[in-house]
Amino acid sequence: MSALAPKFKLSEFIKSLLDNAFWMVLLVSLIGLPIIQIILFYIEMPVIDGELLTPFLAMTWLADPTRTLPIVKAFMATDMFRVMAFPGFGFAALIAAATIFVERKMLAKLQLRVGPFYCGKIEGILQLMGDGLKLISKEIIIPAKADKPIFWAAPVIFVATAAAFVALIPVAPGWVVADVDLGLLGVFAVIGFFPIITILSAWSANSKFPFIGGIRALFQMVSFEIPLILSLLGVVILTGTLNLSEIAASQSSFPWIIFLPVGAIVFFITMLAELERIPFDLPEAESEIVAGWLTEFSGMMYGLVQLGTYLKLYAFAGLFVVLFLGGWNGPMVVPPFPEELLTGVEMGPLTVGPFPGLPLFDQEMLNGTLWFVLKTVGVIFFILLPRGVFPRIRIDMLLSLGWTKLIGLAFVNIFIALGLLYAGVLGPGGLQ
Amino acid sequence: MVGELAGNYSTVVLMFAFGIAAMAPALIISRMVSPRKRSNPVKFLPMECGQVPTGEGRTHFMMQYYPYILMFVVFDVMAIFLYAWGSALLELPKSATLPMMGFLAIMFGAMAFALYQSGRRKIW
Repeated sequence: MSALAPKFKLSEFIKSLLDNAFWMVLLVSLIGLPIIQIILFYIEMPVIDGELLTPFLAMTWLADPTRTLPIVKAFMATDMFRVMAFPGFGFAALIAAATIFVERKMLAKLQLRVGPFYCGKIEGILQLMGDGLKLISKEIIIPAKADKPIFWAAPVIFVATAAAFVALIPVAPGWVVADVDLGLLGVFAVIGFFPIITILSAWSANSKFPFIGGIRALFQMVSFEIPLILSLLGVVILTGTLNLSEIAASQSSFPWIIFLPVGAIVFFITMLAELERIPFDLPEAESEIVAGWLTEFSGMMYGLVQLGTYLKLYAFAGLFVVLFLGGWNGPMVVPPFPEELLTGVEMGPLTVGPFPGLPLFDQEMLNGTLWFVLKTVGVIFFILLPRGVFPRIRIDMLLSLGWTKLIGLAFVNIFIALGLLYAGVLGPGGLQ
Repeated sequence: MVGELAGNYSTVVLMFAFGIAAMAPALIISRMVSPRKRSNPVKFLPMECGQVPTGEGRTHFMMQYYPYILMFVVFDVMAIFLYAWGSALLELPKSATLPMMGFLAIMFGAMAFALYQSGRRKIW
């Protein structure tokens, strides 16, 4: 009986609802709409169907669903959409989040455990959301003598640097945030920032375990950067360009991993080391130095570092796909766009359409994205796999591996590429 | 020309800025939502596995393997030089490869000497 409050009166309830509705309408029409108009007045509006999109027209079109698509399409052509949503942050963060969940579930299956199970009805699919809520509602504790500005900034800058790395990875023909001529050198430049951020955060925490972990991370990332750089030189020799989109486009008939398997293996191993994944997870060795350079991070700061790590993982997997596995190239599997949507569909007595603005994406882009995502997910699977299988290696083994074996193999790879080029197998006059 | 070349990279910087702009609110919201209970003497001490921490956090740390860092400084520059050669290789005559092989041989010799020293001296 007492589901309702004791002094509940329907008339007052309706009155309060109407009250709220009144204030909302008043505020939206007096403040909200003018603000939108002012914002639209100041940003540069596109020309759609030969008509300049004025703020008034934009508002009208947004209310008319058949006219919304051209506006959406014009928005998709902007840099802002690329940065925020599709080849940029939103897409990468989605894949990163999926990777975290798949990793936990897959490792559990590998080790005959169940993994996340209770959160969400089916196989714990809501675990990640629960973790996010938990992290954001936890208190952030900062050690007393820490260098506070740097300590606060480090996780945010880590995520932002990983995002800048993602910006350079082409996903489909023409779909890349930053299509630059020296894309590969840009990648090396961005990778070079990670040790700095790590050592800064480790130093600013003023605690012993982060400091040891930071020093280890510095050693590991720095000494594996050289085999990383050298192992990609073979691809550059064969393609003659540093633009990542052109490198991906050059593999339309065969991926470079067929001719440069040594380089691919070396790059994969250095990738594991740069990502601090098992068997190279010395900077975070949880059985020796608590959590390495992440020890003092709590709450959402730790969540941000995790997000940055997995963004970086996606970016490295994407780089492997672009350089060795052919990027977006693959057989055309996406069906052609239905023609009748362009002319109008007859639904009984009515004719719906035509829809101006369709198709939003061309088939090439959809196909490219599909193949890129499939290959990237495959590479991510192989990056995750060693974590369930291998133990951690010692730091002197790590360094001698990086400095003797991997650099030697990277040079072997360079000579293979030179030999293929000068023997006339590849390059001008060869297969391509 | 130079400005145009640098302008191509503005989207990378934009992405970096977007990363900061999108992630800083997460910390701020967390700070607003999360409980901030009264402190006690050990709450803000650095983590030392339950012990009361002793000494400085930023201790003197023996820089083992330090010569690898020195080698890095040399070989990183070498690797980038190799990129300048490798990306232009298709336009170069074949005889231009020979000086590069000489360069590589010199670097290889230096590296082999450094690694040989690393085997002889136990401090590496």
